[in-house]
Amino acid sequence: MFLEQLINGITTGSIYAIVALGYTLVFGVLGIINMAHGEIFMFGAFMGVVITSTLGLPLWLAFVAAAVITAILGYLLERLALRPLRNRPDSHLAPLISTIGVSIFLENLADKLFGSGNHPVQNSLSEASFTIGSVNIYVVQIVIFCISIALMIALSYWLLKTKGGKALRATAENLETASLLGVNTKRVIMVTVVLASVIGGIAGILVGMAFSSVNPQMGLSFGLKGLAIIILGGMGNVKGAMVGGMILGLSETLVVALGYSGYRDAIAFIMIIVILLLRPQGLFGTKTA
Amino acid sequence: MLGELINPYYLQVASFILINIILGLSIYVTLASGQLSLGSAGFMAVGAYTTALLTTNFEVPLLVGILAGVMLAGIFGIIVGIPSLRLRGVFLAIATLGFGEIVRVFIVNTESLTKGAIGISGIPQLGREILDKLEVIGFDPEILGLKANQFTFLIVFILLLIIVIVLVCFFSRQKNSRVGRAFSAINMDEQAAASMGINVTYYKVLSFTQGAMLAGLAGALYAHVLSYISPADFTYHKAVEILTFSVFGGSEVVGGAIFGATFLTLLPETLRAISEYRYMIYGILLVVMMAYRPQGVIDEQMMRWFKRRKGRRQQHGTENK
Repeated sequence: MFLEQLINGITTGSIYAIVALGYTLVFGVLGIINMAHGEIFMFGAFMGVVITSTLGLPLWLAFVAAAVITAILGYLLERLALRPLRNRPDSHLAPLISTIGVSIFLENLADKLFGSGNHPVQNSLSEASFTIGSVNIYVVQIVIFCISIALMIALSYWLLKTKGGKALRATAENLETASLLGVNTKRVIMVTVVLASVIGGIAGILVGMAFSSVNPQMGLSFGLKGLAIIILGGMGNVKGAMVGGMILGLSETLVVALGYSGYRDAIAFIMIIVILLLRPQGLFGTKTA
Repeated sequence: MLGELINPYYLQVASFILINIILGLSIYVTLASGQLSLGSAGFMAVGAYTTALLTTNFEVPLLVGILAGVMLAGIFGIIVGIPSLRLRGVFLAIATLGFGEIVRVFIVNTESLTKGAIGISGIPQLGREILDKLEVIGFDPEILGLKANQFTFLIVFILLLIIVIVLVCFFSRQKNSRVGRAFSAINMDEQAAASMGINVTYYKVLSFTQGAMLAGLAGALYAHVLSYISPADFTYHKAVEILTFSVFGGSEVVGGAIFGATFLTLLPETLRAISEYRYMIYGILLVVMMAYRPQGVIDEQMMRWFKRRKGRRQQHGTENK
């Protein structure tokens, strides 16, 4: 029983961690919080529903479709809602309000396109499970965990070892200096937003697989959890996103196991407020003036 | 007669416009000191539920219930506001968003007290209560040629109008007072303001709490106008809607909130086809406004232009005499 809960917690936590990665990337480079990330994630999840349940196509195609759609959404987000605001000194709140606009637009667009309410997700994997000792493990859980870990390792490798990753980190450190040193910062920013969106889209499919249900409002609740995680783990910090995701996933499972399932969604918000008050830089963040 | 001119539906819409103006003002006053609150729906819920529970369960007079709602929202405003001082703008917005959601989750889960997701119905209606009081002293709406329900809608509208006029006067005057100037100094540059001897902590909490109290007031009035509330009335959507009133109309001036709330409340009422796509339009509006006119439709320059024109006309008037 305890082990099963632990596995549930880790599965949920690894999905939360991927959602949080999208926020971290964008915040690291642009210094803004992309409130529309949750809704882009939700579109990815709906691609999973449309491809596997409605059209009956294989699962890998759902991943491709989600990646393509969310990449397009990420491009449009950068082009229409973020770029016009850049290099304007007047307000740091403008990008926040602008992305809130995108988020509310996308949520209601999904409501019109796919219909409100819960959409079931079915695929060949959802029922398969095996038992070790007294512990029942679903294959889906292992798949989700492996994909999350692979994604994290790939992202870390890309950020630390490749030229593109170096350009991204340079831009994150100082946009002007990077630009002077010959980094095409405009492109780096575009790549960052698109990459973050694609990661969000993949997380969306994984959520569909794990919870076997998708609805247009999930963007908000998962988005806020992602925010809670990056605030917990420290803004713009990949390691922090992973650990924060695990902590949130496990504590939510714990609360449900203790019988307070109604308060499950409140944990993330309470966490946001407590962390912001006690340690605003997050667990792994460094203090800035 | 007067009775034929008064249409309860128009009065109802007008009452909602007035409540939305109060909500727009709550964003305006917090933004005046450079703070963005996404918790207005939460503060609204605090105000609404406080008065609803007091008046339905304990038969407290409406005035006391509403005041209690406003005070409690204000207390929550201080509690959320003080720690938020340590947070930069963006983080404050997220913390307030978190507050709003906690309030909602709490209401949904305390079914024994708040009836959870079902909501509270049968909250005493503001107009009805006033009519009952007046009937005791022998007043009959027939004197004015009105039916009872016409009178209740009319009296609610008039009462809300008075409240809004008082609030608008108060905040217009506050803008040019010592307090208002402190707010805009903090908005421009917090450190510079502090070095000029402005007590940043005090004024930031003041502006945040004023916003919370306004939202609480709007929530309490909303409960007594509609006589039914549920957690679904106070979601993230509501917070974004309130934000749109202020951002679209203009967040620099009091007139902006009035224009934004009026325009955006009338729009879905007059064009029914739009009503369904309301939130999509809000979303597009927010993006477009931020890109092309971040200060909103009505800004200070426009207000000055109006004032100059008015001033010139008055001058001409005296010359012609």
